[in-house]
Amino acid sequence: MEHFIELRDICKSYGQQAAVCNATLELKKGEVFSLLGPSGCGKTTLLRILGGFQYPDSGRVIVNGQDITDLPANKRPINTVFQNYALFPNMTVWDNIAFGLRVARMTRKEINVEVDRMLELIDMQDHARKKPGEISGGQKQRVAIARALVNKPQLLLLDEPLAALDLKLRQRMLIELDNIHDEVGITFLYVTHDQGEAMSLSDRIAVMNNGSIEQIGSPVEIYEAPGSSFVAAFIGDTNFINGQVKEKIDHDYIRIELEEFNSVLAWNDKQLNPGERVDLSIRPEKFRLFRNKPEATPYMNAVEGTVEDIIYLGAQTKYWIRVGEKLVSVQQQHGRFLLDETPITWGENVWVCWHANDGYMLQRFDEEDASMLPLPPEEDLEDDEEAQ
Amino acid sequence: MKRSRFPLLISVGVMLFFYLPIFLLVVGSFNDSRYGGPWRGFTLKWYERLLTERDIWAATENTLIIALVSTVVATCLGTIAAWVLHRYHGALQRTHYLFMYMPLVVPDILMGISLLLLFVNFSAKLGLTTITLAHITFCTSYVTLVVLGRLQDFDNNVVDAALDLGARWPRIIWNVILPMLGPGIASGALLAFTLSVDDFIITFFVCGPGSTTLPLYVYSSMKHGSPTIINALCTIFMAVTAIIVITGQFLMNRRQPVQQLRS
Amino acid sequence: MKKHNKPYVEWLLTLPSLGWLTLFFIIPTIIVFAIAFKPAGVNGGIGEGWTLESIRNLAQPSYPEIIFRTIWISVVATAVCLFLSTPVAYWLALQPPQRRQWLMLLIILPFWTNFLIRIFAWKTLLHSEGWLKYALVSLGLVSPDAILLYNSGAILVVLIYTYLPFAILPIYAAAEKFDFSLIDAAHDLGASRIHAFFSIFVPGIRTGLFTALMVVLIPALGSYAIPDIVGGASSEMIGNKIAQRTFVDRNLPHASALSACLALAVLIPMMISLIGRDRRFTKKTGGKKA
Repeated sequence: MEHFIELRDICKSYGQQAAVCNATLELKKGEVFSLLGPSGCGKTTLLRILGGFQYPDSGRVIVNGQDITDLPANKRPINTVFQNYALFPNMTVWDNIAFGLRVARMTRKEINVEVDRMLELIDMQDHARKKPGEISGGQKQRVAIARALVNKPQLLLLDEPLAALDLKLRQRMLIELDNIHDEVGITFLYVTHDQGEAMSLSDRIAVMNNGSIEQIGSPVEIYEAPGSSFVAAFIGDTNFINGQVKEKIDHDYIRIELEEFNSVLAWNDKQLNPGERVDLSIRPEKFRLFRNKPEATPYMNAVEGTVEDIIYLGAQTKYWIRVGEKLVSVQQQHGRFLLDETPITWGENVWVCWHANDGYMLQRFDEEDASMLPLPPEEDLEDDEEAQ
Repeated sequence: MKRSRFPLLISVGVMLFFYLPIFLLVVGSFNDSRYGGPWRGFTLKWYERLLTERDIWAATENTLIIALVSTVVATCLGTIAAWVLHRYHGALQRTHYLFMYMPLVVPDILMGISLLLLFVNFSAKLGLTTITLAHITFCTSYVTLVVLGRLQDFDNNVVDAALDLGARWPRIIWNVILPMLGPGIASGALLAFTLSVDDFIITFFVCGPGSTTLPLYVYSSMKHGSPTIINALCTIFMAVTAIIVITGQFLMNRRQPVQQLRS
Repeated sequence: MKKHNKPYVEWLLTLPSLGWLTLFFIIPTIIVFAIAFKPAGVNGGIGEGWTLESIRNLAQPSYPEIIFRTIWISVVATAVCLFLSTPVAYWLALQPPQRRQWLMLLIILPFWTNFLIRIFAWKTLLHSEGWLKYALVSLGLVSPDAILLYNSGAILVVLIYTYLPFAILPIYAAAEKFDFSLIDAAHDLGASRIHAFFSIFVPGIRTGLFTALMVVLIPALGSYAIPDIVGGASSEMIGNKIAQRTFVDRNLPHASALSACLALAVLIPMMISLIGRDRRFTKKTGGKKA
């Protein structure tokens, strides 16, 4: 199938600084695609290039097989929901939604029908005559979406649309956005720095860092099979384990000699040979904690350590276990915490276990990405003191 | 969307419009021709001629006396007024604000004639005193509005914190309020000083014999004197104001990083 | 916020400035209105008793012409100032902050140069031996014996020159706060550059435009020095007449009557706008409380 929207080798720099470098993306018709990355990673630049507010230094933008790279914003079949909504403060809700239709010189009758239909979609019929200053943040958000959708764009760009809302409202709007997407079936390009939003809304995600795209994939792929240490550390929490291949156990599994502690087993995803470097990412919730050494089962790893720190989070508890020189972060769900479990406490000796399949081999590893991972509270404190 | 070139063109045009006349005036002050016009060679003789004019020195002295006195009085009045306007919000302050605001919008000529009538009515002798009284009046309004603008960013909790820590009002004013408002008061005072030095119309109405200020001198020589001498006078005048303004701007800019850190 | 617990403190602190303004601004303004109803005395003094003579004098045939000229010159000057300042403010607001500061200084500098000097600079330019005349003649635009000075056109140019920086400042202040993503939004919805400028930017900076209007129109209506220096006998404005009655004819009641007219023309619209703004303000805060 021909891809619906394509960005080919887009580069854009401001002065000396490259904001986007060789970005290539393909969007399928009707999907929700997210650009996810920390601030300054170039995701907004990419969105502005798609919207026609900026032009790339090189590369092409193609919609439906047609090259629109040099088309200005007002001639593109693309509409945008801006970060701060950018509702026109001097116009009513109704006039805001009608703006694009008026510009397109539709008849008064058509405009009335379309605007009323949109107001119904966002459930704002009662607020049509209000000015943007008189409605709440969530309502502004809905008006901004309606104002863009009423033009029947081929692609809707959403630039951090929920950033200005509080947590509860954000969760509600997320569901609402999903419903609106189901209803209109337009392709959405969603830009955000919030992994939660991207994961729950998107069909596919592109993770960006320093102006280039690190990985593109479904939320599951991105979380379970991160391509690089950046993706692994930016999305969720993880542990990095670095070492060398010691020996091949069988066709699929290897034994790894680690820098920090005992040798462990891992699934040989990359088909590495002995002597080669290995970087593993293991999510904290993949570990199991035991007071006593569990019985050995095939491909199971078990290492001994002491509990250094505990944070009780309600739904789960987070532990930092010192294993040799390494701090391993572990996340555990629990049953009836107070009644029939004796909680693991500080200083206890525990066994950390995981299956060889739970460690995922990273394609690229950068030492610095480890600094994104959360540290136990005490370490944070020490860091602060050093900083001062 | 590519930006239109139209605003840039207008801006460049406006800048030329602003600076070309001034530039030609400065050039003219070095021109060895009695009535300006075509270039006849470089000369400093107009500046030399200027130095020998006794009246200029007297006018400068008058101008500085008036400006200094009115700046000091207006800065005190204006700072207190701004503080009260910021702190209280009753009917009294609404009137106060209206009174403050009106001298800024009323045309100078109205203020001039009304003050003249006041002084005539009370048979006051027109001279340096009446000019100073008039200058204090409009300078106070400017100082108040400048300081009030600064007060809008002022965190009232700081005063409450000082009270909470047991400080008394004189101490709060001296150690808390004044240091924080310092830049605002200084720029208000600078504005008052320049406005006083520059004022022509109001001064023109309330001046008397022997109280000629620099603008009045410039005006009368414009009417009667040689244009090239005035060119030279204007050039010096502009150079001095430019130096004051640029220094002021520079001082304010240097303070800004500290303020940004605070906010 | 804690208040002072003693109510007289407010009065005590308000008294100096309020008293000063009452004495040197409010009372003189009232005197102007009062003297308009007094007869002229000998030697330029003010006579005894009350009379409507000065008010009646306003009906002199020469006045309507002068008033009309004052109004049209001021209105045209204001319109040109607004027309030029808006694109300048738009352009300035889009510059990077560092450069903006220097550009603002460039705009403020002429605003700080003495008002008389600015007029004088134009007088020498427009003078029969001035540069502008020279340039225009050599371009063949005017004949060598044309007179550029001492007419309404010269007054207009100098008025614009004098008040343009005053118009740019408030419009720029509004443009700086303007959210330029609104312009992007308008483009995104299909609007052209010009459409976006007029339907989004101009309404967005309307408070700045309004301030600029006041800041130019009011002093222009009361201008005296500009028509006095670059204008001629056939292009007098109200300000000239006031000064003439004061200093030449020594007829203070007559000058007062003229000033009272000017004051009413200026103060009434200002009061209305101030009260309107006040009401809007209280409405807004009231709304927030509810």
